[in-house]
Amino acid sequence: MKKKNFLTIFAGYVRISPKLLWGLVFFAVILLLAVLAPVLSPYDPYYLSDDLLAAPLTGGHLLGTTYMGEDVLSMILYGGRTSLKIGIIAAALSGAIGVVLGALAGFFGGIADKLLTEVTNIFLMIPSFFLILIVVAMFGSSMFNVMVIIALTSWPSNARMMRAQVMSLKERTYVKSAQTIGESKGRILFHYIVPNGIYPIIANTTMNVAQAILTEASLSFLGLGDPNVVSWGQMIMSGKSYLVNGWWISLFAGLAIMLVVIVFYMIGDGLNYAMNPKLQSRK
Amino acid sequence: MGKYFIKRIFTALIVVLVVVGLNFVIIRLAPGDPATIMAGFDNPSEEFKAAITAKYNLDKPIPVQFITYLSRLVRGDLGESYYNNASVVSLIGERFGASLLLSGTSAVLAFVLGTSLGLVAGQRTGGIADRTFSTGAYICNSMPSFWLGMMLILVFASKLGWLPTQGMYDMRLGATGFARVVDVARHMVLPVATLTLIQIPAYFRITKSSVCQVLTDDYITTFRITGMSEGKIFRKYVLKNAILPVVTVFGINLAYVVSGSTLVETVFSWPGIGIMMFNAISNRDYNVLMGVYIILAVSVAAVMILVDLVYAKLDPRIHYE
Repeated sequence: MKKKNFLTIFAGYVRISPKLLWGLVFFAVILLLAVLAPVLSPYDPYYLSDDLLAAPLTGGHLLGTTYMGEDVLSMILYGGRTSLKIGIIAAALSGAIGVVLGALAGFFGGIADKLLTEVTNIFLMIPSFFLILIVVAMFGSSMFNVMVIIALTSWPSNARMMRAQVMSLKERTYVKSAQTIGESKGRILFHYIVPNGIYPIIANTTMNVAQAILTEASLSFLGLGDPNVVSWGQMIMSGKSYLVNGWWISLFAGLAIMLVVIVFYMIGDGLNYAMNPKLQSRK
Repeated sequence: MGKYFIKRIFTALIVVLVVVGLNFVIIRLAPGDPATIMAGFDNPSEEFKAAITAKYNLDKPIPVQFITYLSRLVRGDLGESYYNNASVVSLIGERFGASLLLSGTSAVLAFVLGTSLGLVAGQRTGGIADRTFSTGAYICNSMPSFWLGMMLILVFASKLGWLPTQGMYDMRLGATGFARVVDVARHMVLPVATLTLIQIPAYFRITKSSVCQVLTDDYITTFRITGMSEGKIFRKYVLKNAILPVVTVFGINLAYVVSGSTLVETVFSWPGIGIMMFNAISNRDYNVLMGVYIILAVSVAAVMILVDLVYAKLDPRIHYE
């Protein structure tokens, strides 16, 4: 059997689903914008110019300025870095916890499995946004705290998926053959089973990035954002008092959130579609 | 079946206990001593801290503290909001009506609209209706609720002046009777529209995919071959089966009604539980946050059991062993 590597499989998925392709293209653009923020921004996001509440397209400010004279476009570019960082790190962390715990439970079964199933069931029933809110309110609203608490509350769905994948894959012939030739359990699990069953978790993780970005924005809006960074949620909050005379502050920051979230949903949806032959035959 | 529900109730109790435990642990792990945190404001006096310490046995071992906390909760004491000089329970009670009106109305509206749109789209996937609704659902699903609310205010209240910007009624109007109902209704339009639009995608997606699923089932094909009318197939078989998974989403959304919507109530200055949460955050009034969280957890756990009961009633195929 010719061994397919990760990239070949992924390329196959991209061919099946145009949504995935476009999602990835837009994601690349967004990533580029965030990485090149220092080069692309016309101003320093903290620079207080003399143009207060300048409307878009006036005084050299493409998207206008805030009530303190900060350039909205520059803030949006830098805010993108915050959103992407929090979203991607939190979701990746949640994915990693979920994959490891789910894989171990599915593979070894027994008491560990029962325990994990109970824990995930309970976690899935606990209202998470309020928990995140309380923890961030009490422990301080640093980016680190926000990322960790989002990861700690969102891993159960990943664990559940991974567990199901492992339970079905471990009965396959190739796994049995690996056992016969004497591969170690750890190697079988993390080298043969997990890489083959990880795609649904990748899809779920991209959706979680979108969720995490929305959660961060909501926290920032409630005044629980990291005060040391520029973030879209904080921009929307600060624009709330200037909704009539400075609508551009909130409008553009919100549009930015929406576009990034849509792109991550597109990638996740596209992946799910490409992985699931049933969905494709349904047309 | 009885045995199954006893197990479900047991799980629900554990969920509530975990939430209570989390609250308990968070207070003790957070920076600062528990007595100060429970005081709910900065720099409480020594006497005040001593009183709280005595009330919650904070000088006793951890297990005793937990039992004390738990027994207060069981008696319905969610603590005091010293900032507001009132018990958390009474604060919630005062504001529950406003939240129920707002969140309840939008929960029902979203359920009806989202499910109907899903039913329409699911019958002809890839059609114009499906593509329009799906795109709309995608967009609504990606918007932060508070931002959508602000944009609606900007357009319909600030620019067009059709509707009030915030609050639940016009203080200056001082309307009574029917005029007051109209006044509240006018104030409700934008926040309800926001919450409804945000919740629709969940219903839409689930309904659509379950309609698609049911339509490809073999028994539907069989009915078609035997010449049963499409309308009858839809009413008698597709609708019933497709509506089942929606019940769960509706149940969960109903459970969240008790906590109101912090984000949307904040945008519209709606005098409900949500905005009380917002104020509690900025005032560091943690007892309020935790009290509402516990009530929310209880309500979610209760609704989950309820949803199971409804499922058992609706779906004769389910046999709980």
